[in-house]
Amino acid sequence: MDNPPTTPNRRRFLATALRAAGALGLGGLTAGLAAKRGRTGEYVWQLDPQKCIACGNCATYCVLDESAVKCVHSFAMCGYCDLCTGYFPPEPIEQRTGAENQLCPTGAIQRAFIEDPYFEYRILRDRCIGCGKCVKGCSAFGNGSLYLQVQHDRCLNCNECAIAVACPSQAFRRVPADDPYLLKVRGKQA
Amino acid sequence: MLQQNPPLRRLLPIALGGLLVAVLVVASLAVLLYDPSGEAGNRLPENFQYDLSAFQKIDPALIRYRQAAEIPLELKQPRGIAAGREDQILVAGDRAVLIFDSHGKKISQIDLADEPRCLAVAGQDHAVPGRIYVGLKDRLAVFDAADAPPKTWETRGLKAFFTSVAPAEHDVFVADAGNKIVWRYDVQGKLLGRIGDPGPDGNIPPFIVPSPYFDVAVSPDGLLRAVNPGRFQIEAFTFDGFLEQTWGLPGLEISRFCGCCNPSALAVLPDGRIVTGEKGIARVKVYNAEGKFQCVVVGPDVLTPTPAAVAESRDEHRLLPVDLAADRQGRILVLDPAARRVRIFVEK
Amino acid sequence: MKRLRRVPCPRLRGHGKCRKRRSLPTRAWAGHRIGVGILFIVFLCISCRISPAAERFPPPDFTDHQLPATQAPAAPSPVYEYADLAFLIAALGLASYLAVRRRSRRGLFVLGIVSLAWLGFWREGCICPIGAIQNVTLAAFNSTYVLPLTVAAFLALPLIVTLFFGRTFCAAVCPLGAVQELVALKPLRVPPWLDQALGLLAYVYLGLAVLFSATGTAFLICRYDPFVGFFRRSMGADMLVFSLSFLVLGIFIGRPYCRYLCPLGVLLGWFSRISQWHVKIPPDRCIQCRLCEEACPYGAIRTPTTVQPPADHRRGRRRLALLIVLLPILIVLGFGLGWMLRQPLARLNPTVRLAERFYQEQTGRVQGTTGATDAFRNTGRPADALYAEARSLLGSFGLAGGLFGAYVGLVVGGKLIYLSVRRRRTDYQPDRAACVSCGRCFWYCPAEQALWKNNPAACGLATMPEKT
Repeated sequence: MDNPPTTPNRRRFLATALRAAGALGLGGLTAGLAAKRGRTGEYVWQLDPQKCIACGNCATYCVLDESAVKCVHSFAMCGYCDLCTGYFPPEPIEQRTGAENQLCPTGAIQRAFIEDPYFEYRILRDRCIGCGKCVKGCSAFGNGSLYLQVQHDRCLNCNECAIAVACPSQAFRRVPADDPYLLKVRGKQA
Repeated sequence: MLQQNPPLRRLLPIALGGLLVAVLVVASLAVLLYDPSGEAGNRLPENFQYDLSAFQKIDPALIRYRQAAEIPLELKQPRGIAAGREDQILVAGDRAVLIFDSHGKKISQIDLADEPRCLAVAGQDHAVPGRIYVGLKDRLAVFDAADAPPKTWETRGLKAFFTSVAPAEHDVFVADAGNKIVWRYDVQGKLLGRIGDPGPDGNIPPFIVPSPYFDVAVSPDGLLRAVNPGRFQIEAFTFDGFLEQTWGLPGLEISRFCGCCNPSALAVLPDGRIVTGEKGIARVKVYNAEGKFQCVVVGPDVLTPTPAAVAESRDEHRLLPVDLAADRQGRILVLDPAARRVRIFVEK
Repeated sequence: MKRLRRVPCPRLRGHGKCRKRRSLPTRAWAGHRIGVGILFIVFLCISCRISPAAERFPPPDFTDHQLPATQAPAAPSPVYEYADLAFLIAALGLASYLAVRRRSRRGLFVLGIVSLAWLGFWREGCICPIGAIQNVTLAAFNSTYVLPLTVAAFLALPLIVTLFFGRTFCAAVCPLGAVQELVALKPLRVPPWLDQALGLLAYVYLGLAVLFSATGTAFLICRYDPFVGFFRRSMGADMLVFSLSFLVLGIFIGRPYCRYLCPLGVLLGWFSRISQWHVKIPPDRCIQCRLCEEACPYGAIRTPTTVQPPADHRRGRRRLALLIVLLPILIVLGFGLGWMLRQPLARLNPTVRLAERFYQEQTGRVQGTTGATDAFRNTGRPADALYAEARSLLGSFGLAGGLFGAYVGLVVGGKLIYLSVRRRRTDYQPDRAACVSCGRCFWYCPAEQALWKNNPAACGLATMPEKT
């Protein structure tokens, strides 16, 4: 180097100053954001059933081949009808449980007799793909006890949720991970 | 090998360059074609789509009523409608009962201490003619006149969910969707009995009421007509609770009752014919007293909720079914809570 | 919750609903106010949960049947996030040690594979420092967005480490870097002009990513991440083609994403310029063999400069002066251009897009409705509110687009100036901004090999691995 001998020193000093400023700045940024945060824990994606229009995008836009969104059932809201429009198509061929009579294209709803005249409907999670067809059927005539929710055992919690981007009603939002569902009925008998 | 083959060596960079450009083009195309916005729709096969539009069309020849007038309501949540002694129109909702004359001009208003759920006005034959019965959630508020202070009858408990009142000559019947029973009172408010219990022979089927829509009406033949929505039936009882008649079938066909629990509303015309209202596919129809389908009053093309109404009902997921009443002239009063108005229908 | 809360808390009815509670922590409240706030929330929850239960229409009274609970599997424990953070800290430390102190290319390579396995394939690519730029930006501009601490740390830690040790994060911690490190089988030399020009893309991409996350529109970096699909082992056909293209590209061009797109690479490059202990090729014994330059797949070795004829020198000075004059013009031009581009830029925002479509439908310019406009009609919100929101967004896009344009102008002008400034170098040395500290240069350096052969302990290596 044929620079004057002061230059490297000055340069070194400048670099050190910049480094210190950078480190302090970043530390400050992190600390500031931490202070601003105010609560611990992470955030996860969830969809607001009040905004959801059961368009079916959840089934196809999730980055997972089998969507993380599935139908859930708030049993306390259900009417336990014999002729359930979430289970049977609007004009059922026959009021039996055969696949040809079911609304769900994947046969993911299980119907069980409880006592006269009530039937209970449960979602078979492994079969549900989150298309929301039953949600539409239930809310068109019934109590709206079937609705979609992000299932957190499946959700990868992508930084940008692909379904949230594709959601026409902007129903997705981040919720605290320790309270990760927006259920229609809260509490024990949900 | 390459060193021994100069032409190939010269060609290699070009080929590689070409390959890289091709790869870049493919990558850019893939990015351009990638559409994350959801506007392409759910791309699911036909059998994953739910569509009711085919069932919402009604043959115009079946519609034998026309809308003669309508009354816009300044109520957020209209809940019940009734026809008065002189064909006034009464609407309950938002802690009030609004009283209109038969042409729709507002006459007066009764303020209530609680949310009304249902409403009835006693006719000329009632022990106290013109008395107004307002069903609150679990009890009745009774007004002997519009300006009289209310008498409140005893509560039927936490589970009670009153959805309809029907006064007869010396009796008052109240449909309780929570207890899935019809209560029979005398005009003083004394409980006389229950309708909907299995009866001594156990052959009266129970009311199946999966949602808070459960309507009753007293018909001129002296029977109590009650909807059994879970069975898609209209049932006729004697005042003592004996089941006299049932009719009605489930189905989307116009003569049947659609959905999973319908009809949701009921009214009786002065000549004894029965008007029914359905939710889901909103339609109001007329049957004769024996249950033979006669005609359509109005269909989903008029009664389907507007977006604004859907938004406001979303939280509770209320379907906003219509409520019905019939006046002495045979006009059918349809309370359309989605549009927040009363529609008055007369025969064409 | 929302449903139950409505009835007994009429004051809550109009505004906020549930979101109010979620967004509370976003303001820097004094401690006692947070305490009071929490108490208030708890009170609300309790008071709202008790009474209105009777309001709901009851399910049937079953004689002997318990209502099942709604299926709601718990979210994964936050322990994973903290484990990721611990891994990041450990890997950053180890990578810096391996690169700067131990000078072990093999160690860096192995660590890269471990990071790829952990942050990439096991944790499926989400949380990543590159994407964290967007979260931090969004948190800075949107007071309702709550930034998880781990995400902030994921961005800050690599930057801080880079300040001291250079881009060791890129060398062996970043899973995206590791993938490309693995596939760089036949790296070609990119002509310097092209290399510099493509390098600008990363600046533009960073600018766009900040623009779109600041306006709450999109997380572009995540959306167009070329490798995350591999990590999740599931992706759409279009993204598969995109990802595969990047892999093929990566065979012939070393780390194409890191060099020409990575927005974090831009920041790291700047931090690396002033790093204290950046990796060096042994300079004292440089025998000008150019092996390091040949070995570097990323074109990051700067060669010694030749003496410049005075005529060139004068011309260079004139050009530099011209460019410095040009810089403000470029910035202003960029601002104007960016401002003019606000409309197409804003179209990426779902609300703006919805408002536009809704307006077209209302005025009969298009036939039919879309899912989004149907959903909007369902909400019953007045159209004017939507238009107002879209207008305000468009306004922010005007400013943001202008700033973005100005930034691009600055970057282009700055790059031209940078290229016009002559530096004197006597040795082969890595360009601190472009070097990802992969270790190939000193690994292949004969001087370093000689050093090790003579005194293995000097470099902390007990045994010398065979080098090819």
